[in-house]
Amino acid sequence: MTITTKRRGSLARSEARQALGFASPALVGLALFTIVPVGLSIVMSVYDWPTFGDRTFNGVDNYATLFTSSPDFWPALRNSAVYTLLYVPLSIALSLVLAIGLGPRIRGRGALRVLFFIPVVVPMVANVLVWKMMLQPQGLFNGLAQSWFGVTLPNFLADPSWAMIMVVAMSVWQGLGYNMLIFSAALEQLPESVLEAASIDGARGFRLIWSVMIPMISPSIFFATIMTMITALQVFAQPQLLTGGGPGNATKPLVMFIWEQGFTFGDLGLAAAAAWILFAIIIVITGVQFAAQRKWVHYEH
Amino acid sequence: MKKLHVGAVAAATGVAVVLTGCASGSGGDASTDGKPTIVVDMWAGSEDDTTALEKQVAIAQEENPEVVVKLQTAPWNDFFTKLTTNMASGNMACVTGMSGAQLGGFTDGFRELTTDDLEAAGLDFADFNPGAEGILSFEGGLYGVPFDVATMLVYYNQDMLTASGAASPEIGWTFDDFEDIATAATTDGKYGFGMGMGGYQWMSMPIAYSGKQPASEDGTLHIDDADFVDAASWYSGLVTDLGVAAPVASASDTGWGENQYTGGNAAMAVDGTWNAVSYLNNESGFAAGMAPLPTGDHGNSGPILGSGYGISKTCDHPEEALKVMGSLLGKDAQDYIASSGRSYPARTESQPLYFDSIDEQYREQVKTVFESAFETTVPLYMTKNWEKLDSYIQPNLVSVYNGQMEMSDLLESAQTQFGN
Repeated sequence: MTITTKRRGSLARSEARQALGFASPALVGLALFTIVPVGLSIVMSVYDWPTFGDRTFNGVDNYATLFTSSPDFWPALRNSAVYTLLYVPLSIALSLVLAIGLGPRIRGRGALRVLFFIPVVVPMVANVLVWKMMLQPQGLFNGLAQSWFGVTLPNFLADPSWAMIMVVAMSVWQGLGYNMLIFSAALEQLPESVLEAASIDGARGFRLIWSVMIPMISPSIFFATIMTMITALQVFAQPQLLTGGGPGNATKPLVMFIWEQGFTFGDLGLAAAAAWILFAIIIVITGVQFAAQRKWVHYEH
Repeated sequence: MKKLHVGAVAAATGVAVVLTGCASGSGGDASTDGKPTIVVDMWAGSEDDTTALEKQVAIAQEENPEVVVKLQTAPWNDFFTKLTTNMASGNMACVTGMSGAQLGGFTDGFRELTTDDLEAAGLDFADFNPGAEGILSFEGGLYGVPFDVATMLVYYNQDMLTASGAASPEIGWTFDDFEDIATAATTDGKYGFGMGMGGYQWMSMPIAYSGKQPASEDGTLHIDDADFVDAASWYSGLVTDLGVAAPVASASDTGWGENQYTGGNAAMAVDGTWNAVSYLNNESGFAAGMAPLPTGDHGNSGPILGSGYGISKTCDHPEEALKVMGSLLGKDAQDYIASSGRSYPARTESQPLYFDSIDEQYREQVKTVFESAFETTVPLYMTKNWEKLDSYIQPNLVSVYNGQMEMSDLLESAQTQFGN
């Protein structure tokens, strides 16, 4: 018995060594490209860290500067919040409507799903070019409005009150297909017997969707909400390409602020501090969502 | 198992340290066969660029047999990122290329050049285009010597001007002439002028109009100077008051005016001399022309711009590096740059060769306009936080051009935030 245990022990050790050998390239990658940069960014955030020149420890000064004297930080925080609050519910609701709409009764729904998924895989630059061509004063929308109704539309991307709405609209259009695919997959998995039972009990139309289908796919909705919220708080490419963060700073989100501080102004300490604030916000909101899920997410069918 | 975890972390850290060590380089220039190696770092976007640089480096090598001259290049977009990394790690090349527009962010890496340094390099600004000493100067310090010079011009679409019955811009034209032409060319949904969004593109007209710059030579910002504000307000009024230019569609349209011009939507636009040849041979196929900036009440004071070479602070062999820089900016290398048509050389005696390289049909026009424009250029002064100022102003220009913000409010707010 003792001999067998020893043999097993030595086998386990040898297997563990082999496993470690196989895993070591990944571990090196993890250390080099994840652990070291993350650790370094924590250190950076408490230093006055110019791109070149002397670095000096300044404690929480970077954090204090951001909250008290950085003119763009609060607007960037506000912009990220506004974008997230507009984008997440719109994106989730519309994807859900689309996924339900493209149900089993629709002919050619596979092709339609591909069509709605195309913007997700098309490079962002191309999507933005198309939207710019539609939205600019000499663009499609204004041209049609003038020739059909004699109305001149606002300069959408240059108007502070319209620019953020257009960034959200373009983002929702761009990201719609991804969540739609998740919801479609979840809807396909719904057990026929439950839907049939609900139907026999008289559930039809909106009642069937609201009281039966949505609770049953709530884990997918929860997943999509978490992921969409995180990507919304990390938004960068859409406002950068569509509005350049302008007019003024009306559409400059937190990630663009971080990028500007780090790579345009060379203040890596301030950028790292802002990045950790964003990280904290994402963690807290995700935590709250996880805590709240018990009340509305149903895991058993 | 715990031991194994510790071992794994140690192994991973060891490899990471080794790799990091490999990435950081030796710093400074190594010696080859007892001769110091002087590295020349310059941007090059194509094989042609690299070949041209190799020829210039060969000239420098021939003139400096006591050192080994080595060329390293990176495309324009990567050059400044790499330079930042090299500076941060103390590996900046002894002779490093620099553009006047970018210098403000990199002065920490360059040696401030003295009169003795220039003498050691065999360079005298008297041989260069007037104002050339200001191109790689910053806050009163000289950090390099330019190999080429550039200024801003008004480019025009002759076909559009002819079709609308507007006159053509000419050397010596005034701002009144400019307004008349822009107004006459604004017809059939097309505009007379394309508004500038880039720093030089928008700022050079108010500078020429007022004869004032937004900063002084010592790096003091006074962008709220009454004359400059008036001139800048006149400029934004081209959209809001005169209606001779289209409002800008988005703050991300950094090349708005130039794109409006090349796209055939605007008859005129302001851009640098570096684009003269590409505008003359434009893909849209319209007949293009060029003129110096209009003359204001204080004469015609367009900014002089350009790129050149400087010596890094960390260079181990500064004396030798200065000599190499001297050769790269010497007559032979400058003649080569000029005769290959690559750019308009900074050395005055080499400049005529540049025009010989231009297509014969455009040669005379380019020559007369260049000579006239460069006659009155002034160095463009900047402040230490110019990048921040620029990135504040540009997205707000959109609001100014759209009539939602006054130019004076923008410039006063910029002065409050970025004034020294």
